[in-house]
Amino acid sequence: MNAPVPSSVSRSEARGPGEKGSALPVRDRGLKALAGWARQPGFLLSLPALAVFIAGFVGPLALVVIYAVMPARSFGVEHLPTLENFVTIFQDSYYLSFAWSIGLALASTVILMLICWPVAYGLSRVFRRSMILTLLLVLPLFVSENVRLFGWVLTLLNHGILDGSLRTLFGWEVPDLLYNVPVTILGMVYVYLPFMLFPMALGVSMIPEACREAAFDMGATRWQVFREVEIPLAMPGILIGALLTFVLVLGSISEAKILGGQSVIMIAHDIETAFTYAQNWPLGSALSTLLILLTGVLVIGLLSKLNLDKLLSRK
Amino acid sequence: MSETILELKGVEKYFGDFVAVERINLSVKDGEFFTLVGPSGSGKTTMIRMLVGMDKPSRGDILMAGERVNDVPANRRPTCMVFQSLALFPHKTVGENIEFPLKLRGEAKHNRKTRAIELLEQLHLSESYYSKKVSQCSGGERQRVALARALAFDPQILFFDEPLSALDYRLRKTLEKELKDIQRRTGKTFVYITHSLEEAMVMSDRIAIMRKGRIVQVGTPDEIYNGPANGFVAQFMGEVNEFRVSRKDAQWLEDLDSDAQYPAPPDSPVDEGVLIVRPERIRMLSEEETADSRFEGVVEHQYVLGSRVQYQVRVKQRAFLVETMIGQPYQVGDSVSLGWDADQSVLMSE
Amino acid sequence: MDTPSSAFGSRASERAMRIWTLVVLAFIYLPMVAVVLASLSKIRFFMFPIKSWSLEWYGSVLGSIEIRDYLWTSVLIAALVTIISVLLAIAGALAFARYDWKGRTLYQKLILLPIFFPQAVLGLAILLWSSAWDIAPGWELAVFAHLVWIVPVVTLVISIQVYGFDPAVEEAAFDLGASRWQVFKEITLPILWPGIFSGALFAFLLSWGNFPLSTFTTGAEQTIPEWLYAKMVAGYTPQVPALGTLTTLLAGVLLLGGYWLGTRRRKQ
Repeated sequence: MNAPVPSSVSRSEARGPGEKGSALPVRDRGLKALAGWARQPGFLLSLPALAVFIAGFVGPLALVVIYAVMPARSFGVEHLPTLENFVTIFQDSYYLSFAWSIGLALASTVILMLICWPVAYGLSRVFRRSMILTLLLVLPLFVSENVRLFGWVLTLLNHGILDGSLRTLFGWEVPDLLYNVPVTILGMVYVYLPFMLFPMALGVSMIPEACREAAFDMGATRWQVFREVEIPLAMPGILIGALLTFVLVLGSISEAKILGGQSVIMIAHDIETAFTYAQNWPLGSALSTLLILLTGVLVIGLLSKLNLDKLLSRK
Repeated sequence: MSETILELKGVEKYFGDFVAVERINLSVKDGEFFTLVGPSGSGKTTMIRMLVGMDKPSRGDILMAGERVNDVPANRRPTCMVFQSLALFPHKTVGENIEFPLKLRGEAKHNRKTRAIELLEQLHLSESYYSKKVSQCSGGERQRVALARALAFDPQILFFDEPLSALDYRLRKTLEKELKDIQRRTGKTFVYITHSLEEAMVMSDRIAIMRKGRIVQVGTPDEIYNGPANGFVAQFMGEVNEFRVSRKDAQWLEDLDSDAQYPAPPDSPVDEGVLIVRPERIRMLSEEETADSRFEGVVEHQYVLGSRVQYQVRVKQRAFLVETMIGQPYQVGDSVSLGWDADQSVLMSE
Repeated sequence: MDTPSSAFGSRASERAMRIWTLVVLAFIYLPMVAVVLASLSKIRFFMFPIKSWSLEWYGSVLGSIEIRDYLWTSVLIAALVTIISVLLAIAGALAFARYDWKGRTLYQKLILLPIFFPQAVLGLAILLWSSAWDIAPGWELAVFAHLVWIVPVVTLVISIQVYGFDPAVEEAAFDLGASRWQVFKEITLPILWPGIFSGALFAFLLSWGNFPLSTFTTGAEQTIPEWLYAKMVAGYTPQVPALGTLTTLLAGVLLLGGYWLGTRRRKQ
């Protein structure tokens, strides 16, 4: 087995081949190099997960993109490519769903950044990774989102928890709080909170305590420390949290359905309708393709700039 | 008569275009404490990994007890390595760590425990350590557990990858002596690598100095100290007084950078090169004392190094470093005479 | 000028942070409390305050054959997903964090992509994909769909454990005479165990509670979350919050149990 190059072997004194009589073996080329590459233990171990990735992620999404250029309401991929689905998207009101989805995603992301920062900060510094607190914050991830959203329905319904309590206590009658845009945002913020919180907490944990103390020592106010030291150093975590939240809310469906009723149609809902009730796979695929494009650009853009080793080995 | 237990013939190692070690020829005798010394990047870690079996040489042969072991994997060589990080198994107790090699070889539980406790005693750890967790042991104790584990299955050669470099001074000094002691008692061959020549000098029977992938000099500590092969080795041992000289006649050398003259060391056939005089070989001379050379100068700086003191003395344009035991009356600003005898210096080509 | 008097900066802001965290926690658990309350209401439609309390809905849930069927489907899928994803993720995590190899950084980014993708759209895409291969939707397809998302998550969890792992320990074991398999069994696996255990726990719970992927891939069969959603939309009975409460309790018990086991093991 080829062990990785030991880190103590310094490369600062590398010498080229052919110097002073040291003849190096001929550089491996072509097939031989490929075979050597394939024999790396890391590569071999990566294959199972990559297989699932290709078969279950790349494959389906690629097929969707192909379907996007098939004639509307057709099935199978034997037809001539056409852009009619994209025309439909812009002529009919589908672009509205997109706009709404992007808008709601932005709103949720911003709200969550504000809500989660103090908690993330506390998790990392004040509560010093209290296990109980982490468990309490993690638990909701494992409860089906339908159940949790339903809880909000029960709370905000007429004669629900909120309305019922107010009636009994003060005799107030509250109008129907459900099925509008703000409550949809509430649902999104609620469901995707952990996805903003934990990456942020990871980001905060990357701020060395010594840097903060040094800044204070040099005369910075708390606001200055926040702006000049904490935010920049926590930025990788913040960006991951924001990206994850944005992308997931962008493609979300349950919150709008359960809490928003007909007030908001998210793009994922349109996609679902196209695929199921309308039996218009190409249209659904075209909508999905736009979503894939938007998501892909953002995600690949951020991930390519991150050093995952540095990020994850801190923990 | 000591046999050669480890031999390297023409060993070389490349990583792609990078030459890590080159043209290594070496032999280590059975029962020897042999140390490879060199700065970081000199190739010593690469060497030891090849000897242990973690890497294969790109070229050349490694022989143990006369047999070629290039293709023998690490788990089948009669050797054992103590890693820099010690690599103690965090999920096992001290006893389980020590017994691990025995367990692999199918030793019965009772025998394993006996041997483990025996080793603990050899290394001055009480029996109570047997069931302790690794995390409960101090730095020095962990070193000993790592050593006990390495000795457990009685390997012919033990390799050490800078095990003491992370420890504080006192602990290091104590463990250096203990390692030497254990080596003497067990009679095993120890091959040790370190970047500290001082450490090597304390413990080793023989030393090999490495630089940029090559072996620069091999010898006993005395041989290296008194006869460094070149400027690099001399420098490696600490601050020395260095003068570029050329020969005037059989007795005298001329300094190329000033008009001074120095006594030529006997038996040095070199006509042009570097004269090395160690600070502790220079004496502060009183009125009556004589030496082969004598210079008058003024004390510029004084550095207290514990039991020794270093003086920087300016003689015309040159600064000399002189080292004496503490207790001398010289102060900064004093006029002093200094000198040395010819056989206390070394002349070498650059 | 603020002089920091504690790790954060001042007692007042520390208190504010504690209060805010409690507010957020209350926000998170309020709907779940609502669900519990709804499950205890005797009457069929939810009205608050609850006038008559009853546990009968729990009884009807536990006794329902229909629900037992869906429970079985959910457990089957979750168990398979757990086992397969842990096996794949151990290999994947070692490739992620332990061995240096050409292409590793690309692999790291690729393998995490499914996490950053909306599950509903992924579910539909997999449905489309399955029809192209003439694979009928069912619990098998659901297992596959869950894996696509869950394998990256578990890989991430185990990788974090792998990062804290001193590779010299494996080399030392090998040097002491162990075979490759012995190194893996005696050294690698036990040291990675906490990560593997958390990963398995996450895999089970994430699969168990998943809706968007399941709903498009299970076809005629149904998992518990699917049933809950269907009943939420039409044909509501307090069986829904009752089952919801039970599944939440299950998640809580598993999480806390896992944590407790973990601390007990560390104390040994």
